[in-house]
Amino acid sequence: MTASDSSQVDLVGAELTRNIVRAALFAALLGAFSQVSFSIPFSPAPITLQLLGVYLAGILLGPVWGGGACVLYLLAGALGAPVFAERASGLGVMVGPTGGYLFAMPIAAVIIGMIVHGNTSLVDPSQRGVGRLLAGLISGTVVIYTCGVVGMMVLLDFTVQGAITAGALVFLPGEALKIAAAIGIVRSDAITAA
Amino acid sequence: MLSYAPGSSVAHRLDPRTKLFVQIAIAIAAFAHTTPRGLLILTAITGIVLVSADLDPRGVLRELRWLLVLTTMGPVFSVLVFGPPWIDLYRAIDPAMASYRVLCLLLVSVAYVRTTPVRDSRAAIEWFIPGRLGRGLGLGVGLVFRLLPVLLADVSRLRMAIDARAGTQRPLHDRIRRLTLGSLRRLFDRVETLTMALQARCLSWNPTTPPLGFEVIDWPALVLAFGLLGWAVV
Repeated sequence: MTASDSSQVDLVGAELTRNIVRAALFAALLGAFSQVSFSIPFSPAPITLQLLGVYLAGILLGPVWGGGACVLYLLAGALGAPVFAERASGLGVMVGPTGGYLFAMPIAAVIIGMIVHGNTSLVDPSQRGVGRLLAGLISGTVVIYTCGVVGMMVLLDFTVQGAITAGALVFLPGEALKIAAAIGIVRSDAITAA
Repeated sequence: MLSYAPGSSVAHRLDPRTKLFVQIAIAIAAFAHTTPRGLLILTAITGIVLVSADLDPRGVLRELRWLLVLTTMGPVFSVLVFGPPWIDLYRAIDPAMASYRVLCLLLVSVAYVRTTPVRDSRAAIEWFIPGRLGRGLGLGVGLVFRLLPVLLADVSRLRMAIDARAGTQRPLHDRIRRLTLGSLRRLFDRVETLTMALQARCLSWNPTTPPLGFEVIDWPALVLAFGLLGWAVV
């Protein structure tokens, strides 16, 4: 590189660098959480922590960067990072059985972030009331499961009853647990978004 | 685990934009023609894609077994009827074709994953989405690829540590809370370190990504992609 070239280097600002790093780390955490599964009593389906990661992205990073983290997660997965459940990756997963849920993740993170933070400027989520956190998380969950069920109907030709049974009802006990965990973590003051 | 592996197959030598375009064209055509004849053509194209990537379909199917189980649930749920005769096999035909379509698209996407390094995918993103948005997405995707093994190791170590301290006897919500809190603490510690490291290395909007260029080998693939798109709208 010549001396004249070096003057054309366009540096990324400090705040933006920090936000990109936070979003990328959260996207990688979503990938790691997708591989963690727990069996829950009285349910045939084990739960992963993937959606808990989406909830926390919306709450801790806010609507813009929480949604951005989910977009990075999907893009990296589509391009080959083994971030989806069972270390799957590729564009094919996006049009597969879980495609609807995946596409809904950024939307859910944005909605959760908007309800929790009120607008795009971030507030300390631990100071938000339980009702507000609950409203955000339930809205996000409804969006994810609605898109997931519609996705199963469109992509795999499930019947409405089949899609709701296999794609939503069996997972609801686990989601209630994750919503409770997300609220407990955020209200515990044990972490603060860097 | 299905991930990039260096090689010299035809698919390895294709431009990443060509491979993405072919994948999208195959998906659009598959959705437009989910008929026995359409699926026969899709099967042939999937076979060509796998051969071009030097992939053994049996090995790929083994890796995708979890998704395959989910994919077959459509036909299984569809044959069940709430009332006599309780089972109606005829209702499984359309879901079975939809499931087979998904299976083919999964195999095609594995060929991309197996033959495309992340730096090429990043360059393709920056070509498809010009400006700072594309650069930012390319940068972010590159970071996710690099950071995923680190975060996986963090979460795995934490889970082992929790289990070693009678974690399996704790209530489930407590185990989830401990694992998530530990993971988030490490994540936010890494934010500081990584931000500083990137700034110290002068993170810029004008990085040097690999040059992209269509070669002669790309033309047949591009013709196939345009042909599939044309077929999809017929």
